[in-house]
Amino acid sequence: MPVKSSNNTTANRFARAGYNTIVKRNSVFLTTIFVSAFAMEMAFDSISDRIWDNINKGRQWKDIAHKYE
Amino acid sequence: MALASKLAQASLNRSFVTLPATATAVRSVFGRSAFYSSHDDGHGHHHESPATPSLSGLKTISRNNNRSFVTAPAGLAHQKRFNHSSSRDTTVIPDFGKYKSNSGDSTNRAFSYFMVGTTGAISFLGAKTTVADFLSNMAASADVLALAKVEVDLTSIPEGRNVTIKWRGKPVFIRHRTADEIDEANTVNIAELRDPQQDAERVQKPEWLVMLGVCTHLGCVPIGEAGDYGGWYCPCHGSHYDISGRIRKGPAPLNLEIPAYAFNEEGDKVVIG
Repeated sequence: MPVKSSNNTTANRFARAGYNTIVKRNSVFLTTIFVSAFAMEMAFDSISDRIWDNINKGRQWKDIAHKYE
Repeated sequence: MALASKLAQASLNRSFVTLPATATAVRSVFGRSAFYSSHDDGHGHHHESPATPSLSGLKTISRNNNRSFVTAPAGLAHQKRFNHSSSRDTTVIPDFGKYKSNSGDSTNRAFSYFMVGTTGAISFLGAKTTVADFLSNMAASADVLALAKVEVDLTSIPEGRNVTIKWRGKPVFIRHRTADEIDEANTVNIAELRDPQQDAERVQKPEWLVMLGVCTHLGCVPIGEAGDYGGWYCPCHGSHYDISGRIRKGPAPLNLEIPAYAFNEEGDKVVIG
């Protein structure tokens, strides 16, 4: 059982607001899940691409194309 | 108390030869019975059953049933039972304060739902990626897609000339039209055409006409700068196309097809496909 006295802390108020806006209605909850899945995919792809380009800097066609075109 | 009376019946039906009436057994029986009667802890059926190994009860049993009193407590004498309720008071709830969350009502709930949602999102992503990977197997590979486009340098085509190039195994006509030809294409009354189409619908830039060189009748390749309308003429069955590639005379039902194409930013190249 959580302690009632800490119900008014900032973290608790934040958590309650998040619960009321996102979780309370299942339609909103599911929409949030699917939207965040796509956001996660985009973030993962762009970050991993950036890491790959960083590791292979100077070795890819886009880095040397200006010499030939 | 159906169970209790059943148990009592079962213990009464034991044979009296199961245990000799040793002094130890008798003493333990008395000890038990004294113990039970002094600690009424809710296990009341022991007292109500006729097999209760209390002193008075045993006497009653041996009198009424004409049985030896050692038959009933045979089990009791052999199995040393510990009365758990006597050593600890089970009505006292232990203090779980050490394990309690000291956050309020909402954070744990929000965290739980956050984990549920995150798990759902990651699972969905995994499922979606799996399906997409399987489907991308069926798509054309990169080398095929690279062959599917053709780039043509337009600076090498003078005004008023036709160029035929090969694209996906089919001929493509590119005509650099003169201003007169553009005017001619625009002055046609489209109401009297078999396949009514404005010239503006068929070109992106009026001076460049790009179209598929396949007759819409039976698939022959028309001849350029020929025919009654100054455009193309199909020698197979005599279809005449005008300077916009529209069918004007002959058996073909439709205008010459326009492929998907795009000019580059400088406008000196066209990419077909």
